[in-house]
Amino acid sequence: MILKALRSRGARKFRQNRLAMFALGVISVYGVVALLVALGGIRLEETFERVSRNSIPGAWGSQTSEKRVNDAEEYLEEIESALDNEEHLEYRFAERKLVDLPVEELVERVEESWEIWDELADVSNVDEHPELLVKLDEVEERIDALFAPLEGVDGWMYAFRTYLGTDRQGRSITVRAVYSIKLAIQVGFIVALAATLLGTLLGAAAGFFGGWIDGLVIWLYSTFSAIPVLIMLMVLVTIFIDTPYEGTLVPLYVSMMLTFWIGPCRVIRGEVLKLKELEYVQAATSIGFGRFYILVKHLIPNTSHLMFINFSLLFIGAIKNEVILTFLNLGVKNQPSWGTMINQSRQEVINGFFWQIGAATALMFGLVWAFNIVSDALQDSFDPKHVS
Amino acid sequence: MSLIRVDNMVKHFPVRGGVLNRIVGKVHAVNGVSFRIDEGEVLGVVGESGCGKSTLGKLIIRLIESTSGEVHYDGTEITHLGHNDMLPFRRRMQIVFQDPYSSLNPRLTVNALLKEAIVFHSIVPPSEVESHIDKLMAKVGLRPDQKNRFPHEFSGGQRQRIGIARALALNPDFIVADEPVSALDVSIQAQVLNLMMDLKDELGLTLLFISHDLKVIEHFCDRVLVMYLGYVVEEMNCLDIHGEARHPYTQALLGANPVNDPDEDRELTVLEGDVPSPFSPPKGCPFVTRCPLVESRCHEEMPPLVEKTKGHRVACWAVE
Ligand SMILES: Nc1ncnc2c1ncn2[C@@H]1O[C@H](COP(=O)(O)OP(=O)(O)O)[C@@H](O)[C@H]1O
Ligand code: SF4
Ligand SMILES: [Mg+2]
Repeated sequence: MILKALRSRGARKFRQNRLAMFALGVISVYGVVALLVALGGIRLEETFERVSRNSIPGAWGSQTSEKRVNDAEEYLEEIESALDNEEHLEYRFAERKLVDLPVEELVERVEESWEIWDELADVSNVDEHPELLVKLDEVEERIDALFAPLEGVDGWMYAFRTYLGTDRQGRSITVRAVYSIKLAIQVGFIVALAATLLGTLLGAAAGFFGGWIDGLVIWLYSTFSAIPVLIMLMVLVTIFIDTPYEGTLVPLYVSMMLTFWIGPCRVIRGEVLKLKELEYVQAATSIGFGRFYILVKHLIPNTSHLMFINFSLLFIGAIKNEVILTFLNLGVKNQPSWGTMINQSRQEVINGFFWQIGAATALMFGLVWAFNIVSDALQDSFDPKHVS
Repeated sequence: MSLIRVDNMVKHFPVRGGVLNRIVGKVHAVNGVSFRIDEGEVLGVVGESGCGKSTLGKLIIRLIESTSGEVHYDGTEITHLGHNDMLPFRRRMQIVFQDPYSSLNPRLTVNALLKEAIVFHSIVPPSEVESHIDKLMAKVGLRPDQKNRFPHEFSGGQRQRIGIARALALNPDFIVADEPVSALDVSIQAQVLNLMMDLKDELGLTLLFISHDLKVIEHFCDRVLVMYLGYVVEEMNCLDIHGEARHPYTQALLGANPVNDPDEDRELTVLEGDVPSPFSPPKGCPFVTRCPLVESRCHEEMPPLVEKTKGHRVACWAVE
């Protein structure tokens, strides 16, 4: 069915739309990343691991001297206590281990670093003293030299994980934002597929059989569409509170599926009402096929362009609403999603740290933008009169 | 013996309206039509657009359920048969539609749409389905290697041939041809008409041939029903329509005959005045609003369709 649709005139028009093809490429990249994540490229545990100091900015950001002084203190204290307790061989700071030197040597180096650090500690405004800034750089270099250098793949991984900085618990923003791609695509795909199928079946049955089935479906969607989507979602999600499903993806799937079927249902019902009068449907009747067979074989496949369009619109809807619900603490818990990231970054934004909210919104924007372009192009190519 | 007997066929379409979508009236599409079709005969149906020709054709093969009336097919009353009892008759009665575009499912290849019908009715053993399809293609003048194409890859004339092949796929004995060429280019109309008539002779088909063009009817049909506003107003042999037509409406149709101009809108408008709406048909004779011979009785009473000479029935008070 899909192959046949790809051969049609609408598909040709779609392929000639360069922007849409680019957007489709963008979606494919997201899709491949999601697939790699799902295949184990990033495990869920990794999104909770500490990779560096807390709230460090990304590769091209800068931070205040005050925070640098504090971070240096944190490092030195941790290393010192590890040395005191003779745990230096097991000690890791965010996966990085200490250089392979005798303990005495290490203790001595830490002492020297403390001496320089002391000069900085009491000064309230390091930035105004260029000579102190030089000292700060020196402390940082010395601390860095206390750790074994990261070589090869490890070095690459460390650069990747700290590329967009860390959150307030020292977790990698890159890892969490990329992991969220998988979550978004998973939610978008499952919700859009289920809601499109449900809406198509109800709409097609209503349009084709008419009578009480049509009455019931119309009543259902008129009632449902009288309630604002977000309120409807919030109510449905709330039902799952205090059940084992709270905080999982199940409440999101169920609530969005029950809310989103209305769009495809209305459109497909209208199309089937129109199609069922066509003569090829009468020809099928004259051959003697049953009503159900005619509906499934001759009518529903001819609505596939509308199914595609609705699928792609619902995909965006699902991703956006997942983020909104999660932001409102009604969505996913215990795993990263763009919603959890934006939720967490509320405090950071107040402190002027934009890396987490920036990464989450940029990745989300890219996907939503691409899907919007593709939906529009699908509509232009397959449904120029905008039935939907 | 006649293959088909239609008794007092009536079809009223409900018309809905108003906020509550209630039934506010009905369209009198077919008003008590009776006739017979003999085996091997081609019965023409002629009349202006909207007079109920298509509705009549679809009523006979039960694409539309009648309001009242009966159809007897080969001795069996089929109007009240259930889906399964109807199946053997569905196989025997097929239809060719007017519009070659909307009559083919755009998602099915020619092969798929023919196969679907053949397999459903087990017309040939499964191993012979492909060769049966090839034969059908050849029969309607298409190359068998074109069978894996989709409808949009064919021209209008070719699509109409596919429609004919679909009707023939079930080896029917009766076919309703609902203006099979009026949507086609004039240049290919004759080809398709000749094809149909050749197939009719070759396969011994019985045809109900609907057209608004008396010339075509005269040429291809054995007998003709002239319809006006859901009524049959005249029924006669086609040998000499010009000489024998007696109903004022048929004569008006003949008077407006030069419909051969390809640029002319091929819908007939033969007379002054509008056709009354089938939603509110006039009292008495349906033709009363436009008839040149109208007399007082015509306003009061519907003239019955009576046999004037053998095989020639007319519904008009003015005809003796
Ligand atoms: N499904 C329908 N619902 C309501 N009215 C219909 C329907 N089909 C046909 N009609 C009406 O019945 C009348 C006869 O139509 P039709 O049989 O298609 O005429 P013809 O084929 O002679 O042009 C017309 O007035 C038409 O509007
Ligand atoms: S019955 Fe009267 S109105 Fe009708 S066709 Fe004959 S003369 Fe005309
Ligand atoms: Mg018609």
